[in-house]
Amino acid sequence: MLKPITVRPFALLLPTALGCLLTLGFTLTLGFTLTLGFTPNAAIGQEPFDFAHKILPVLKKHCAECHTGDQKKGGLSLNSRESMLAGGESGAEVLSNDKSMSELLSRVSTKDPDLRMPPEGPGLSESQIADVAQWVQAGLPWEQGFSFGAQSYDPPLLPRRPELPAPSSPDRTHPIDRILDADRAARSLAPLRSIKDEAFVRRVYLDLIGLLPTPEQTEEFLADPSADKRPKLIRSLLNKDLEYTEHWLTFWNDQLRNDYSGTGFITGGRTQISKWLYEALIHNKPYDAMTRELIAPASGESAGFANGIRWRGEVSAGQTVEIQFAQSLGQTFLGINLKCASCHDSFIDRWTLKDAYGLAAVYSNTPLQIHRCDKPIGQTASPNWLFEELGNIDAQAPQPERLKQLAGLMTHPQNGRFSRTIVNRFWHRMMGHGIVHPTDAMQTQPWNEDLLDHLAVDFVDQGYNLKELLFTIASSEAYRAESERLEEKESSVAYAYQGPRARRMTAEQFVDTLWQLTGAAPSKFDAPIVRGKSIGLDAGNPKPTDPIGAWIWSDTVQSPSGPPAGEKIALKQSFTLDKLPSQAFGVITCDNEYRLWINERLIAEDKNWESLESFDAISALRVGQNVVLVEATNGGSGPNPAALYFEMKLIDPQGTVSIASSDRWTYSTSALDAQGKLADGISDWKKAVVANGPWAGRLQNEIAMGLARGPLDGPMVRASLIKADPLMRSLGRPNRDQIVSMRPTELTTLEAMDLSNGQTLADWLAHGADLWNARRASLNADAQTIRETPTREAPTRELIDRIYMHALSRHPRTEELQTIDEMIGPTLERTELEDILWSVVMLPEFQYVR
Amino acid sequence: MMHPFEVDPSAPRSHARRDFLKQLSIAATATLGLSSPRLVHALSDGTQILHPKAKADAVIVLWMGGGMGAPDTFDPKHYEPFEVGKPVAQVISTFPSIPTAVDNIRISEGLENVAKVMDRATLIRSHVQPDLGSILHSRHQYHWHTGYVPPQTVACPHIGAWVAKVLGPNNPVIPPFINIGQRLEGVGEQEELKAFTTAGFFGSEYAPMNLPFPEEAALSVRPPKGMELARFQNRHRFYRKLADSHPQRDSMSDFHRDSMIRSMEGAYRLLESKEREAFDITLEPKESYEKYDTGRFGRGCLLARRLVEAGARYVEVTTEYVPFLHWDTHADGHTTLRRMKSEIDRPIAQLILDLESRGLLDRTLVVLASEFSRDMIMEGQPGSNAADQAEKVDKMTEMKHYGLHRHFTAGSSVVMWGGGVKKGFLYGKTAPERPCIAVENPIGVTDLHATLLTALGVSPKTVFDVERRPFYVTEDGKGQARMELFGS
Repeated sequence: MLKPITVRPFALLLPTALGCLLTLGFTLTLGFTLTLGFTPNAAIGQEPFDFAHKILPVLKKHCAECHTGDQKKGGLSLNSRESMLAGGESGAEVLSNDKSMSELLSRVSTKDPDLRMPPEGPGLSESQIADVAQWVQAGLPWEQGFSFGAQSYDPPLLPRRPELPAPSSPDRTHPIDRILDADRAARSLAPLRSIKDEAFVRRVYLDLIGLLPTPEQTEEFLADPSADKRPKLIRSLLNKDLEYTEHWLTFWNDQLRNDYSGTGFITGGRTQISKWLYEALIHNKPYDAMTRELIAPASGESAGFANGIRWRGEVSAGQTVEIQFAQSLGQTFLGINLKCASCHDSFIDRWTLKDAYGLAAVYSNTPLQIHRCDKPIGQTASPNWLFEELGNIDAQAPQPERLKQLAGLMTHPQNGRFSRTIVNRFWHRMMGHGIVHPTDAMQTQPWNEDLLDHLAVDFVDQGYNLKELLFTIASSEAYRAESERLEEKESSVAYAYQGPRARRMTAEQFVDTLWQLTGAAPSKFDAPIVRGKSIGLDAGNPKPTDPIGAWIWSDTVQSPSGPPAGEKIALKQSFTLDKLPSQAFGVITCDNEYRLWINERLIAEDKNWESLESFDAISALRVGQNVVLVEATNGGSGPNPAALYFEMKLIDPQGTVSIASSDRWTYSTSALDAQGKLADGISDWKKAVVANGPWAGRLQNEIAMGLARGPLDGPMVRASLIKADPLMRSLGRPNRDQIVSMRPTELTTLEAMDLSNGQTLADWLAHGADLWNARRASLNADAQTIRETPTREAPTRELIDRIYMHALSRHPRTEELQTIDEMIGPTLERTELEDILWSVVMLPEFQYVR
Repeated sequence: MMHPFEVDPSAPRSHARRDFLKQLSIAATATLGLSSPRLVHALSDGTQILHPKAKADAVIVLWMGGGMGAPDTFDPKHYEPFEVGKPVAQVISTFPSIPTAVDNIRISEGLENVAKVMDRATLIRSHVQPDLGSILHSRHQYHWHTGYVPPQTVACPHIGAWVAKVLGPNNPVIPPFINIGQRLEGVGEQEELKAFTTAGFFGSEYAPMNLPFPEEAALSVRPPKGMELARFQNRHRFYRKLADSHPQRDSMSDFHRDSMIRSMEGAYRLLESKEREAFDITLEPKESYEKYDTGRFGRGCLLARRLVEAGARYVEVTTEYVPFLHWDTHADGHTTLRRMKSEIDRPIAQLILDLESRGLLDRTLVVLASEFSRDMIMEGQPGSNAADQAEKVDKMTEMKHYGLHRHFTAGSSVVMWGGGVKKGFLYGKTAPERPCIAVENPIGVTDLHATLLTALGVSPKTVFDVERRPFYVTEDGKGQARMELFGS
């Protein structure tokens, strides 16, 4: 079985390649025994009658001119099998019962020049006639969905407010349901069934905030008797600003190709928009405002998207940042693919080379030479917007003004393409399939224009409010419908709504949920942001007070070349407390490395001066003398700037005291030991020196916000804040060198290998086993109801139940409990707990949002 | 002549009928909303893409990451020994040349073992790269490995992913694309390396299996650390049982569910299969192991041989690109190259001999290449405005000045063995004096790829429909195989 298998025996057994095998729905067992592992692609074998290669070329060459598209010579159209079978003026005898009498066959094979088809030219060869005969014999098989007839669809630009059909019943008044119910009724399709509450709660948590509901959250929802508990839950999830932001960050980072590491950063050819994006999401900035700030950035914070990626060296005409600008804007905001048109007039849609360059020229600071396929055509591009109907750009205006005008045109209320594109993307995320699909091809006809148009105008009515859009979708009965049963990956049958399509967890969702289940989340993250909602930016809140600390270092900052590389110092400040404050928290960072101790307890450490650490110090403080001690190290390979910033607030009802770095601190060049202690008798303390550098300018705002936010309540670090690691990359987190609108929907064999034997996951599971084991110990056997087979200890039963409730939002079934009973020995071992956790998170039920 | 629509029986035929139709009528099928790349079987003028008859079933790329200077390896020129005060301009090669098994081919000192197998090789001395301005290694490496110069608007697949996608595995339980020796974390330019070490738009099914440390490769196909095989098997058994006890399992087939379980099953089969022993180089007989054991690269060659024997399709082994290390000599090049050559010389020769003695060399193409060459003086190529990146000295005063410290893109060497290429054959040449540009049969990445693909039976015009536009395996489908390299 496991000797090298050629694909041939397999191909002989089954007529087509593996992909087709699956789409035909053969049983899995057969697949397993014959071909497991990496998809063999070169299967060669017998196929059913090959219409595509044997007949289609003949039709195309000999018949198409007169009998396809708008042409129906003699009344015969060969556009589709149906039109062909309908026949023409000579009768409908294309396929008669007596197959030798087919009119079609006789017309192509006759020697009579008056009757023969085609009338001109040498006609069909003997072998082609034989093929046609075989085709007739086989019953004229046709390719499903194929037609010669051109289906041209011209997507509208302006918004349209469709009239909503009457509700199908009094409890289905949501506009989405009115539209979809009417559609289903028109197709005589039965109404879809709704999912149970436990499935709903899991679905809506994962879709809106990317996390599993805890068993308690699920039970609370199940126990809620109120009729409006679903909209209430949706609203409360959308109000979880931090969780919402850190889930949707994944979508937006993909969409705006933003990341914390990636190509281009190494040579300064790319900047992040992380901080801006995080703030935009956490404050639910309207989408039109977001877009304007991305196209015409008011500050460097949101400029990274428009500026694109520049690698070191020279690039060809189709890869310049100006062209990237045009492509990115087209794709992200309008679902327009300008990649073809960046090189030559597109063969597949209306966009031309001039359109792409026109958009690029809006951004360009210098006259932009138009290149066709990398060769200049001797023309300069003029700044131009894609849809003149909405207005255009003043080509003479300076670049910042042009960008502003472009931002205005893009977000023009009459730009229905803009609103349709984003509502479609959100529908796709929530429902697993776009109304227009794929979501980057907005020129495609939607499967329901009313639905798309209604959502788009409603979105604009609501002030481009992304959370409201999510609320609208999630609160529909359509969203609550049972998941669609998909029997094959890509059906050639036109899409019809059959309930949300199962959504595979993104890599980040999978990692987050694993961290939820195992407690293995890291304590640090890479995104250069301060988590949570800053107080300062909300209207109505007072501005945070300005930081009062200074950036300090040793006296080497006064030497002409600056602090030497590798200089290591200890910085110290003491203070006395009469009583403990109610809160004590602060922020710290250091160029380049530091370790912070308060009263000999390690509080924080970091090596990146651009990331600010927040800390909670309350448990380290004591009445009497307190000591803040920082070991600080300069990096680099030669002398370079170095400094420390520290500021801590001690708050109690009487007021606030700040302890901040200043020239009143002292420093010593003596080294600290690993416990953060200085050797006794150090006497070289000197006054710290205030240093000048770029730090304050870069971080002042962040320090103020960090201090305004207060102590962290410790929300779990989310995968969206971490640089892509090998596991996330394996699970489909993309290199964000390109804009990504859709993640992979299936688990591949290589991914499955990482999940089966990867050390990262194994470590998390070991962590998780400890966590659940501790929980088991704390469960009180007497208080638990014992479900089903009572042969096991109640705490173990209860533990399994909790695992299922957390992972799948449901109780395990008897059958599943029996399987687990078989799996575990007389006592539940830690390794068995690991294996149970692994088995549960590998279930398709776990990894797909249904 | 074949009719344009006749099908070459050796052509990949998966999904052929449907893809073919879709290509013929993109407009008609636009509403189907197909989002994944689709193999296209005909060019826009209706010409059927014919795949050549395969000469090789597998390929091993020996990647000399960092820019292997041809004058000090496979294209020796005028040699000058080190001497304090000697003008740099006098030196082209820093090693003398040595004879090989082929009369008209001399290569550089330090490659004595490789010299003995040059009678099985085709040596190309005229590989050229485009001038991309200031040199960034990873940008040229991206180009060499994908056929396209970055940045690109779609995520370009590595050539290994193309091979995996179009040809599939030789053995269904061995991943078709395996990448040995390159760390992707903790090294300079790691993000740029990741950008092309990927299957791009083909998706992760065709992504490389990365094995940065050959001696640890076995771990990647073993159950996790601390898990006995019995427990691993048990775990899988229970998992399948749990998965099968899903409440709705009988009611209807479900694509996502079935596909996921199938992948889990596939991974499990490899992880408990006999073939996984191929990954464990410690199972190699001691005598043979020692022949390869010159370092990570040497052990990587051994691993590559074992994997190809077991059915791997595309294997790449690298000396590893780390900025300023290994072949990337910005200083002290001569000394560094002495070490590099001693690391690669024995294992490469042994790999060729082993493949030959196992009867695999005829059907395995081995390609040794690098992103560009080096020169002592010239950065980039004549006419380039690439900025100099190494210390400039007119006369050598210290040993560290002795070496090829600049990146040179106008003439590098590629060696091919097996897979139907000519034996003891020399192709192309570079100028004898600086600048040592290719002066005969220059061959760029596009044609080199076309040649490699042709050996494997893949048309250089192979094209996928990506985002509704054609994306070719060689740039714009223009790759022309140099057929004169094939033959006996």
